Amino acid sequence: MPKRKDIAIIGYGETKVTLRGGRSSYDLAGEVFAQIVEQTGIDPKIIDGMSIAETMSETSNPFWGVYMSEMLGLPLAWMQLNGLGGASGIGGIARAAAAIRDGLCETVLVLASDAQSSSKPTEQGAQRYEFMYPVGLRGPVGAFGLLSQRYRHQYGLDERALAKLAVTQRSHALMNPNACDKLRVPLTEEEYLNSKYVSEPLRMLDSVMVCDGANGVLVTSTENAKKLGAKKMIHPIGYGEMTNFKCNEPLADSTVSGFTVAGPKALKQAGMTTKDVRMIMPYDDFLIALIITLEDIGFCPKGKGAEFVLNTDLSYKGTLPLNTSGGQISAGQPGLAGGGLNLVEGVRQMFGEAGERQVSDPRNCMVTGIGAIPYGRNWAVSNVLILEQS
Amino acid sequence: MSEAAKKPELKPEAKKIPRPLPRVNAYMDTKPFWAAAKNGKLVIQYCKDTGKPQFFPRPVSLANGKRNLEWREVSGRGTVYSFTNTYSAWPGHEDRVPYLVALVELDEGVRILCNLLNVRNEDVKIGMPVKVCWEKLSDDINYPGFEPA
Repeated sequence: MPKRKDIAIIGYGETKVTLRGGRSSYDLAGEVFAQIVEQTGIDPKIIDGMSIAETMSETSNPFWGVYMSEMLGLPLAWMQLNGLGGASGIGGIARAAAAIRDGLCETVLVLASDAQSSSKPTEQGAQRYEFMYPVGLRGPVGAFGLLSQRYRHQYGLDERALAKLAVTQRSHALMNPNACDKLRVPLTEEEYLNSKYVSEPLRMLDSVMVCDGANGVLVTSTENAKKLGAKKMIHPIGYGEMTNFKCNEPLADSTVSGFTVAGPKALKQAGMTTKDVRMIMPYDDFLIALIITLEDIGFCPKGKGAEFVLNTDLSYKGTLPLNTSGGQISAGQPGLAGGGLNLVEGVRQMFGEAGERQVSDPRNCMVTGIGAIPYGRNWAVSNVLILEQS
Repeated sequence: MSEAAKKPELKPEAKKIPRPLPRVNAYMDTKPFWAAAKNGKLVIQYCKDTGKPQFFPRPVSLANGKRNLEWREVSGRGTVYSFTNTYSAWPGHEDRVPYLVALVELDEGVRILCNLLNVRNEDVKIGMPVKVCWEKLSDDINYPGFEPA
């Protein structure tokens, strides 16, 4: 599909990330919705679509999206529930764009909200009872421990690159009032390198902390955005997605992710190369994911991610600003609304509203998503969205 | 490894539930796997049309989408594809910390998530030959682990 600017993002909202804040996913979502109404000045009655992420906190309710529509007072012509984990945010935009283009609705609230740290753990079932739980793999932490070990074996890994990523993101979080307070303390490379192992070689400071929070964006056609007199708008111009890359190949290389497909696809559609990317907000559940994401999208050759990180200024003032709100690792992971944290920061930067961490010339932004942990591979869903100014 | 050994480690948490036993037949018919395990034999699924092996058990062949599958005994021999030394336990495993979780690549061409037993973290190498060994988790359940071959 060639590059188009027929779809626009005209507003965004985000709550502060909190650890065991105790507010429900509905209440958090309401705060985001009210922010978007206030920011855009639109009449909420024009919203006729919702593209909402699945949660950990409300997953036992199969009507979660329908309940949210009622909670917010939004009659909908189109409702989509996105079960892509941390990939649901940008996946939700892609689905909203398709629905708008197909005439199913005009204006879509793309929403993610999850009070995971205030809720009981959920159960994913399937093969886990028989072939995972008796072994004791420590969920995503264990899976990324296995991935890190294999990556190091194949390519080597300079831990200074992980330390740099940890410190760069933390220094960004210090400038983000929405970051979780517990994480808004300075971090040094030495502290990262002395951080305890949770699933060796994976350290505590390689990992996200599960929190509560919500975020969202408002999406409509560019034509409608102009009619509405939207104050600001940016456009999704490239998208790629891959669920369960090579899951039918038992001996596939676990260090190679679906980003090898999703990244080039999004770039091609946007008519760009990695050199054209002004800033990147990559999904960061673990620091090693950033290295693999950068490699697989094509910012550097496979195995050279650490070198690329060490040789690139990733700060908000740098040549490739990365996760300028701290990412999930330093702002906190609002459960399955985590992917929206990276997304909303991209939109905020492009609207020129990032305050003291504002990137100069925010002409475009790449946002990525990662979702779900499969059996014995890297991650289940990889997706890439590229945003550009009008 | 010597560098890693110097690093501080997480202290084990208190154990709240027993180590989880597999729930046999929770998502499909896996009885043949557990029946074989009880007799100290490792069986995995094979697609009868293509001859391709697969693990974990699936309701269809990953090779052709058909249900023409059978269980075959395998050698129980393989190599370590990757491993991780677990300090932060999955619920029910707290008293095993630190324990080794690995992906073992069987000679037949599948990977299996398992514990490495009878070996220390510092002695494990990727590519190291291993063979199946059995942990008796209950009267009915033998669980496959792997140890140096």
